[in-house]
Amino acid sequence: MSLKVKLLLLIALSTAACVGAVAWLIEERAHEAFRQIEQERTTGLVSQFQREFTHEGEEITRAVDTIANSDAMLRTAIDLSNGGDYAGRVNDAAAYAAAQRLDFLDLMAPDGTIISSAHWPARFGYKQRWFLEPSAPRPAQAFLKHVETPQGSVLAMLCLRPVHTHGADFYLVGGRKLDAVLASLALTEGLRVSIYSAPELGPPEILGASSDSAALDKLLPLIQQARDRRTEASATIDWGAGGLQEEIVHAIPLPGYSDHVPAVLLVGNSLRKEMALEQRIRNISLLIAIIGVSVGVIVSGIITTRLSRPINRLADAAAEIGRGNWDVTVPPGSRDEIGKLAEAFNQMTRELIAQRERLVQSERVAAWRELARRLAHELKNPLFPLQITVENLLRARETTPEQFDEIFRESTATLLAEIDNLKTIIGRFSDFSKMPAPQLQAVDLDELIRGVVHLFQGQLTREPMRIHSEFELGRVPPVTGDPVLLRRVIENLVLNAIDAMPKGGTLTFRTRLDDSEGLGHLNHQAAVFEISDTGQGLTPEECQRLFTPYYTNKQHGTGLGLAIVQAVVSDHHGKIKVSSTKNLGTTFYIELPLWDAAGESNDRGTAAS
Amino acid sequence: MKLSFSQLLAISCALVTSFAYASSRPRYGGTARVLLHDRVNSLDPLAEEDHPQSRDRMAALTFETLTQIDSQGRLLPRLARSWQSDPSHRVWTFRLRLADFHDASPVTAADVIASLKSANADWRYSAPDRQTVVIESSSAIHHLPEMMALEKFAVVKRGADGTVTGSGPYRLSEWQQGERALFVANEDYWGGRSYPDAIEFQMGSSLRDQLLQRQLGPYAAAELNFDGLRSLEQGGANGQNVALSRPADLLVLVFLQPDLGGRTGRARRPIDPRVRQALALSLNRTAISNVLLQRQGAPAGGLLPQWLTGYEFLLPEDQDTDAARKLAASAGAVTQALTVALAYDFSDATAKLIAERIAVDAREAGIKVQPFGENHVGTKSAQATMNADAVLLRLPLPSLEPSVALAALLPDLGLDASTATAALGAGGSEELYEVERKALEGFRVVAVAHVKQALWLNSSSHNWQQLPSGAWDLDEMWVEGAR
Repeated sequence: MSLKVKLLLLIALSTAACVGAVAWLIEERAHEAFRQIEQERTTGLVSQFQREFTHEGEEITRAVDTIANSDAMLRTAIDLSNGGDYAGRVNDAAAYAAAQRLDFLDLMAPDGTIISSAHWPARFGYKQRWFLEPSAPRPAQAFLKHVETPQGSVLAMLCLRPVHTHGADFYLVGGRKLDAVLASLALTEGLRVSIYSAPELGPPEILGASSDSAALDKLLPLIQQARDRRTEASATIDWGAGGLQEEIVHAIPLPGYSDHVPAVLLVGNSLRKEMALEQRIRNISLLIAIIGVSVGVIVSGIITTRLSRPINRLADAAAEIGRGNWDVTVPPGSRDEIGKLAEAFNQMTRELIAQRERLVQSERVAAWRELARRLAHELKNPLFPLQITVENLLRARETTPEQFDEIFRESTATLLAEIDNLKTIIGRFSDFSKMPAPQLQAVDLDELIRGVVHLFQGQLTREPMRIHSEFELGRVPPVTGDPVLLRRVIENLVLNAIDAMPKGGTLTFRTRLDDSEGLGHLNHQAAVFEISDTGQGLTPEECQRLFTPYYTNKQHGTGLGLAIVQAVVSDHHGKIKVSSTKNLGTTFYIELPLWDAAGESNDRGTAAS
Repeated sequence: MKLSFSQLLAISCALVTSFAYASSRPRYGGTARVLLHDRVNSLDPLAEEDHPQSRDRMAALTFETLTQIDSQGRLLPRLARSWQSDPSHRVWTFRLRLADFHDASPVTAADVIASLKSANADWRYSAPDRQTVVIESSSAIHHLPEMMALEKFAVVKRGADGTVTGSGPYRLSEWQQGERALFVANEDYWGGRSYPDAIEFQMGSSLRDQLLQRQLGPYAAAELNFDGLRSLEQGGANGQNVALSRPADLLVLVFLQPDLGGRTGRARRPIDPRVRQALALSLNRTAISNVLLQRQGAPAGGLLPQWLTGYEFLLPEDQDTDAARKLAASAGAVTQALTVALAYDFSDATAKLIAERIAVDAREAGIKVQPFGENHVGTKSAQATMNADAVLLRLPLPSLEPSVALAALLPDLGLDASTATAALGAGGSEELYEVERKALEGFRVVAVAHVKQALWLNSSSHNWQQLPSGAWDLDEMWVEGAR
């Protein structure tokens, strides 16, 4: 990953993180504000309900008080306490209830027997069970209670009043359905209120809202919590539609006549509007984030481009230098650290060029010295016999004239031989200097090996240094190469091997495909040619210096054979290496690229030329 | 001329005496207007009616039966001049008097047989002569003459066009179905012309409505339900009379036959006999009679009232909620959440209260009863199609003869004909008790109360005879203000 990309990513991520943090903060604050508004609305509605509840209770209390304190009721109570017939009063409650607009009214005897019931006239004669429970003191104010009716239990707000007589007291229980309280509430949009009614006998129901059993099931845990703890509880209920139908429901237990909580007020605050607003804010935040990140990326792109351009130039220049192009300079551009770096780079390049020139110069001097040494060494060897021979001739002419002719013939023969030797030495140097460029073509490596071995067959089988040849050729595909130069490589290696085995041995030729991308810079398979001898072997130091020109450990070697081999292999974009074990033998490994019919050879040819 | 105090006193006494005589002496003329609570669709005694008693009140004016029972419960001849039976009480011979239908055609034995055949096709009829009718039954009928006093056995001449003609003291002059009927005196009636020129019936109007409208003045009489009676009592009945019958009407809970289908076409489920018995045991009949019926009724254990049979006290009527609860539990009424749908007469407010009370009592026993009002609960055809498990019926006492009354009641209660035959063949109270006990045995019929009928009479109407059963005898009735 480039520095520019890294910088771009870093800045973009930083920008996105900042924008995201701001968007999250806005959303959280909006969420908090909405919740606060929701809480205020709910509190307002609950307060309104409590006011209506209290007002309705007062109305009911007033109505029941009116009945209980009326002269007619007093006369009725006195009549009944004096043994009056209950039967004649069976319809009284209905008339009183109608006059005071009460939904429920029971006239009860002191023992709780219903004398007259407005809402259930047929229930006369039965005792009001809850009235007989000695649990709590009878409340003076209105209270919640489920009233039994022919249609089932109905949640009502009731008021209990005694009608005093000289004998026992009679009682009036009157009230109204709680639905009226619900109906009187002014609900704002999104708010709804209902009452969970849980009679002691019979199934529970929800008043004031159309709800199915599934809805009730969702609310039950919350309701149960409120009833158990007798305190307000709230929860967010998801009614479906992918969370858009969420509603915060507050459950407020409504105390009743006894310990039993007869009802729970449910205030539902739909979050649809808030969620839509939150979604809108979220969308806007997201849009701002996208725009911010985009702008950030663009700006950071510009900045990183400006920042990375001189660095890239430095990197490119360094790469050029790595490739051997030393004539690269980087414009300083600015006076900042990058500019100083470019200046330092240029300075370093100049220093490197100077050092390289000095090195080349010294190497050239060393090479000339080596060449001179080698030439002196090579030429000194034939010159010394020449000098001896000439001195022998001079001495023979003076001391033994009679033998001079014979000596002269022998000496001239020696002189000619040494002069030939000098010519050979000079020819080898000439050949090394005139190494031609390879003409690349498809070369059958196996066939080439067999041809060379066949050429040297007589030399190999000469007694007493008989050398046995073995072939382990892998039928490799054609390689890219110049057959003449490659033949020369193989010949040199064979000659070296013959020289290395003066007492005979085994010379092994192997070819194989190398799948391990041994050539490194090539993405193709290579063919490997190995030639192993069982000669005296080389030391590690000898192995290191083996391909140095003019290095030889042979008496009559020029030190150019393996140098030529390495030069040819290198010109073929191949590799050569050697492994050797002292007294066991030496193996040369040569990797050559396979022939690529799709124009690869042309490229190679061009590259090689 | 100056009159002494004694002379003035004598004149005053004479005037008062003459006025008193004048007010008690029957007079001809005038129209007696009567308010009927229920609406009547047909005058034919054999037509199916929701409230047959109202129909019978009018039909008795124009159609005659062979015999009649007076307010004292005595059997009297009417179209039949005399009758006799063979010793086995299977063959009865009735001698007819000379009478004419309102179309001036004579009443013959053939006309009588035609009417009787329509009412009961199981008997064999013969006419030895023009004025003699012989009725032969397969089993003994001890009280066939009393049975012939039932309105269903009235002699009716039915025309091919559906018209009906009678021979009674009044003939039908105007008829507005369900609204109004006007009967005018039959000048040629064999028993002599009736006092009023006409009797006009206004149907479907309660006395309470008329009281509210202060329009009672023109009416001679009006049927009273309990609301009307209470209103009248609360309003003070100055110059007005209320006549109450004996507690004769039977208020009864009838479980409908399960093989009858409801409106939905589904077969009606059978109610476990234990549930029926539990329901019967749960009823607080005393409370119903004393409170809901304002003591105008008596708790009923049997189908016939105690005052008629003398044995009703032997039939159980007491509330036993514990036993009822156990029975209901054993029948699984609670666990199966059984609901008994109870239909009552929608137009009868008292019936609604009683049905609700039955539901309250049953609730204490663990049985859920769901009362609901129906427009037609009394007719067999309506019962066959309604979605009810039981109906609450109010049936008038058909006859003052117990065996005849029981035999006439049983078909209306959905009990089989053999029970009715057994009732007719009962020779005494013991046998009749046994028949009734067996009829009640399966708790398919649960008697609730016997209820009095109430009649408001204007002080201007006289000799309005109300039988103990609540039926009217208007033969001697006359109204003031006539010529």
